Amino acid sequence: MADTLPLRFRVLHYISTVDKASADQIMQALKPEYGTEKQFTKKVFVDHLLDMKANFIIDDNDVTLDDKGELVIYYSINDEGKRLLGKYLPKRWTQK
Amino acid sequence: MSISGNQKAIMMKEKLNADFARKGVLTGLFSGCTWGLNSVLLGLALGLIPLMGDDAGKYALFAIPLAAACMNDSFAGLWLLLYNGGAGRFKEIIRSLKTFPGLMVCVAALLGGPIANGGYLLGISMAGPAYALTITALYPIVGALLSRIFLKQHIVPRVWVGMLLSVIGAIVISYVPPEGGNSETFYLGLLFASLAALGWGAEAVLAVFGMSMIDPKIAINIRELTSGLFLAIFVLPIVGGWVIVSQVFTLPGTLGAFAIAALAAAVSYLAWYKANTTIGVAKGMALNGTYVMWGVIFSVVFLNSPLTQNLVIGSGLVLIGATLVAINPKEFFKKGEVA
Repeated sequence: MADTLPLRFRVLHYISTVDKASADQIMQALKPEYGTEKQFTKKVFVDHLLDMKANFIIDDNDVTLDDKGELVIYYSINDEGKRLLGKYLPKRWTQK
Repeated sequence: MSISGNQKAIMMKEKLNADFARKGVLTGLFSGCTWGLNSVLLGLALGLIPLMGDDAGKYALFAIPLAAACMNDSFAGLWLLLYNGGAGRFKEIIRSLKTFPGLMVCVAALLGGPIANGGYLLGISMAGPAYALTITALYPIVGALLSRIFLKQHIVPRVWVGMLLSVIGAIVISYVPPEGGNSETFYLGLLFASLAALGWGAEAVLAVFGMSMIDPKIAINIRELTSGLFLAIFVLPIVGGWVIVSQVFTLPGTLGAFAIAALAAAVSYLAWYKANTTIGVAKGMALNGTYVMWGVIFSVVFLNSPLTQNLVIGSGLVLIGATLVAINPKEFFKKGEVA
């Protein structure tokens, strides 16, 4: 098992492995790795996603409302995000 | 790319993103305010260092300012360590240091810490404050230019104009009459002052790049600890700074003053890094640059410093500049949105 990545890095990496994902879906997927940590909260994940969107490395083009009328944003990685991952993702992760 | 979801969801998303940007602007302003507070508190702490007898002149130029910079960064790093440790993010620091973006933040720390700080002090001592402070005040423009080139960040003309006004304001505030171009070290001093502006600008750009993949709260902790340690291990022994630090540690009141000033620095840097990554380097740096104005306000209110004409005019320019950077007048009058 490769070293655990910093959470923001891992979120970006996870988004690159799927077509699109919401904050809840990302949390669900990363629960086995980070679930026991204090930083594992929706607020933290949403903040990472908004920051990465503001830095133009992920897109938020797909949105919908859930049953309760709450906003769900699906994020997807863009070319710039892929370029960063290709360049800076540790080797042991690219081989996974 | 196609946009799905209904109109309401899209509007809610746009509101979320606008609120996030507005929060970033406020965070940037807050970083300037707390940095101004740090400058004033650091000034008070420096005043508590006893004079060193006949050696006073020897220490005044480099040892005291660099020892203060070292303590400011180191204590701020420790405060941030407490903050991150308390929030369960200690492991994130180690994880981040094992990645390339994490190491980039270390390089940013060296550029913004020892190199820029050193250049600033050498610039002032060699070229005189009139020229050196004017050049170093240009750092937000350098940062914006570098972010335009290396991060491809788009900067609208309104932000450029605002930044220029802020920089002119900062120069007016820190203006001191030139003492006449003196020695052969004058041009070297200008070079060092330019190095400082370049160092601070490059720090912001490198850090923002690293923070695409690293949490800003972690990045700033790494930055402060790296800078503090480097100054302590490599710089202070050369300039005789350890004499100052060890003296401060024997005086609880002085030590406490430095620790409190560093708390303001920690809060300010945390806010600055967060703002830089949320609203871009140009806006983040320009809003952080309001610290000059805040410093004046704090000095006048708490230390009864005289309010000179230069301070009033300069602060006014900084305020107008920062407002232009932060707010698009058209949007503001329409709906209070932040562009």
